[in-house]
Amino acid sequence: MNPKRDRLAIIHDMLQIISSRGNKMNPTQIMYKANLSHQMLGEYLNEIMSKGFVAEEIDKKGKKTYSLTEKGFGFLKDFEIIKKFFDSYGLN
Amino acid sequence: MSLADIIYSLFSGYDMLFELAFAIISLILSIFAFRIYKITSESKSKLFGVSFLFISISYFIQSLFNFLAYSRLNEPICLMANLTSVNLISYYGNYAHFLFMIVGLATLLYMTFDIKHLEVLTFLVILSITAFIMSTNIYYTFYLLSTIYLSFITWHFIKNYFRKKQKLVLLVALAFSFLLFGSIHFFLSVNHQFFYIIGQILELLAYILILINFYMVQKK
Repeated sequence: MNPKRDRLAIIHDMLQIISSRGNKMNPTQIMYKANLSHQMLGEYLNEIMSKGFVAEEIDKKGKKTYSLTEKGFGFLKDFEIIKKFFDSYGLN
Repeated sequence: MSLADIIYSLFSGYDMLFELAFAIISLILSIFAFRIYKITSESKSKLFGVSFLFISISYFIQSLFNFLAYSRLNEPICLMANLTSVNLISYYGNYAHFLFMIVGLATLLYMTFDIKHLEVLTFLVILSITAFIMSTNIYYTFYLLSTIYLSFITWHFIKNYFRKKQKLVLLVALAFSFLLFGSIHFFLSVNHQFFYIIGQILELLAYILILINFYMVQKK
């Protein structure tokens, strides 16, 4: 994984990781696979939830899992175009 | 008749087509930025879309009023509106063009600052409009303001290129450098028509580069 990822790349990595295993993943798995600190995980999860990219589910035991929404899949599909546009104009 | 006058008379009328092309390119870019905003919910993308929408409207107005002047349609409009001179129609057209353009540039400038305080954008817009209202020469005021705004915007894109060192980013940095030089030439053109032509050609080059960048962004 690229150590100098920008914010957009981190969001992309998180979404790809979540979608890779049956579109359901707990926060610890996301944190390790996306190579994030605990603090960063919290911040980015809040961000991708507020943008409507992922939905949070809490089971009866209180465990949280995250899955991609339709908007999240849309972001993944158009990521290359979005990245090139953001890079071009320094929108990151 | 000097060489500059001959070139200017040959060029006359084509500027209207250039402005129409700039308006369409800006509109395409604005729609694209709004589409990206819909996917990403990134506020900078929305600001980019808003700024290019203002810029597009500004060019449409300029093109329309130049068309009215060349086709002499401004004369019956002048009679209907009870205006004393056809020059007044051009003046109002330029006024609207300048206002929309400066609001668009102010929004783009705000976008380049890494801050999230809408008060700053409001302040920039109010200050720019106040400068117009208080100005005795709107042409100098507009070209001076747009040159200042474009200097900061271009600097942002040049810094972005040195950070990323990518062809796509270079195209944008060059495009805005051309827009800045174009603005400087327009500033000089208030009394010299030849600078107006150079300004238009620089603007055309800038929008061609923006269009190439747009094509390359879309290419998979």
